[in-house]
Amino acid sequence: MYRYDEFDAAIVKERAEQFRGQVERRLKGEITEDQFKPLRLMNGVYLQLHAYMLRIAIPYGTLRADQMRTFAHIARKYDKGYGHWTTRQNIQFNWVALKDIPDVLDELAGVEMHAIQTSGNCIRNTTSDQFAGATAEEIADPRPWCEIIRQWSTFHPEFSFLPRKFKIAVTAAEHDRAAIRVHDIGLHMRKNAEGETGFEVIVGGGQGRTPHVGVTIRDFVGEDQLLDYLEAVMRVYNRFGRRDNKYKARIKILVNETGADEFAKLVEAEFEAQKDAEKIVLPQAEIDRISAYFAAPDFETLPEASSAFEEAKAKDAAFARWARVNTRAHKQAGYSIVTISCKPIGAPPGDVSHKQMEVTADLAEKFSFEEIRITHEQNMVLPHVKLDDLYEVYQTLEAAGLATANYELISDIICCPGLDYCNLANARSIPVAQELQNTFADIERQDDIGELKIKISGCINACGHHHVGHIGILGVDRKGEEFYQITFGGRSDEKAAIGQIAGPGLRAEDVPPALERVIEKYREVRSEPSERFIDALERLGHDPFKEALYAAD
Amino acid sequence: MSSVRPKLGPDVPKVITAWDVATGATVYRTQSGDWSQDLSDAETVTGEAADKALSAAVTDETRILDPYVMEVSDEGGVAGRETLRETIRATGPTTHPDFHKAERGVINA
Ligand code: SF4
Repeated sequence: MYRYDEFDAAIVKERAEQFRGQVERRLKGEITEDQFKPLRLMNGVYLQLHAYMLRIAIPYGTLRADQMRTFAHIARKYDKGYGHWTTRQNIQFNWVALKDIPDVLDELAGVEMHAIQTSGNCIRNTTSDQFAGATAEEIADPRPWCEIIRQWSTFHPEFSFLPRKFKIAVTAAEHDRAAIRVHDIGLHMRKNAEGETGFEVIVGGGQGRTPHVGVTIRDFVGEDQLLDYLEAVMRVYNRFGRRDNKYKARIKILVNETGADEFAKLVEAEFEAQKDAEKIVLPQAEIDRISAYFAAPDFETLPEASSAFEEAKAKDAAFARWARVNTRAHKQAGYSIVTISCKPIGAPPGDVSHKQMEVTADLAEKFSFEEIRITHEQNMVLPHVKLDDLYEVYQTLEAAGLATANYELISDIICCPGLDYCNLANARSIPVAQELQNTFADIERQDDIGELKIKISGCINACGHHHVGHIGILGVDRKGEEFYQITFGGRSDEKAAIGQIAGPGLRAEDVPPALERVIEKYREVRSEPSERFIDALERLGHDPFKEALYAAD
Repeated sequence: MSSVRPKLGPDVPKVITAWDVATGATVYRTQSGDWSQDLSDAETVTGEAADKALSAAVTDETRILDPYVMEVSDEGGVAGRETLRETIRATGPTTHPDFHKAERGVINA
């Protein structure tokens, strides 16, 4: 994993000290809230409904065990004992007092963490495939490139006052787990005809009020040219992106209004016009230096199969189910990728207690080379666990309430904080998720339903990714009453699509029975059990499911 | 600066609410111009008195931020179009019952 060099460490420490002074001046009344607000936002401090919220960056969702322990300590000492994973692979603490935040930032700096660029109109935390470096599906580990982008973009003077916030995601696997097509820029690592590694560049994706699927403007940019090309995209956006209307300021609007072809031409022209002196020289030695931080850990040479694993599955059916649902193939024989569900039935999706953080850190230390990943679907991952160790890992998770076998199933719901926390919300989202989880609690039934992604947002800002849920749920306010608009057919993978609104909104209490009817319809009409909901939707169209949704009316 | 919330007619009973600067906690303005975390301590105001109370709150920004007027019932409980939002601000998230502040008895809605 990447380790800070002296410059990184100095910058983060200095920033924490600066913020301590700013907070002191605010508390003494020496600066006004208007003066302070941009400063706190630059350090990830938001004001929510009933408390401040601190958002901490987890670069590309990769964490060390000691960093997780620091989160646990912060949760215990400064918060109410828990944290919340976000859909940008970050963590939010919902109850931190402003007066304590400088101390929290100091504690974070001690483990190479910070809250810089988790807010504001800058390039935010670059996100990635949570299985990076572990899956056999990828052509390379995308994380060195996320780190290179992080170093390039952090405090980049030209891009610290963009028209709007800017989000980049990178993947190197054909199956897209990083939702790159709904990012401002999505980078898909590819090989060209010569066998060189580079990037397909996708721009203009995004959710929110005006959702768009990104478009490819370049099939291949070589590694050595990546930063120059990104800089060209950013310059075109910075020059032509709208600043007069917050709702039209994202790059997706510019790409859509300009037309993808024309936008691509503007970028190419900017790319060509970059003078030699401006080019960012990215020598191979530097790429190699950063890549070395992400070198594969010291895997043991093991057989493909593990008799201990097979025996444990034979004697413990719940473990066998969990192993089938929550683990994925590893590139190294004898190892496995473990998804730790943070969606136990009936609990707020993505919330983890300080105790669960400690347990996860223990497991990472003992069984996964100290590494943990946070997923944009609000779960955790132990990326490198030996098959031989899976049963012990499972039993420890089970004891900590972290062994729900629902990865990618109907109760593995993405859910934003909604009106229970968020100052911008129109409606609650967590209670809807909880009710749905209770409705579909039966694990056999979930298993039978198969992969189905429900995503819930409490307002049109779409932090809960409802636009790309197989079933999306958007909370709206109608004269003080919560209503929920249902969409079908969204997806954020390699076939990314924006969901279509099914019809009139539903009351909260009507959502679970309505979705139950939809699911029963799906089970009735699927061609075979392996046909997923999203595939059935594609094959049959939305009408049968819409009919089921409103069948009670 | 004050938060923008729905407009309320002059005769609607209201209290001034804001956030405590140091902690971010929800607070309500009392008759003495101080701030309390208990809605039952809040001063209910209407008409010009409400405008004055809000203006005074806006200048109190060492202690609080983003003050605004919220609707209350004649008895001083949460009321009106934003009842749910203000109940959550007063009592905490509906999803983590452990965090409820209800034991303070602030909710009379
Ligand atoms: S989608 Fe809306 S309600 Fe949910 S966290 Fe984002 S801004 Fe808040």
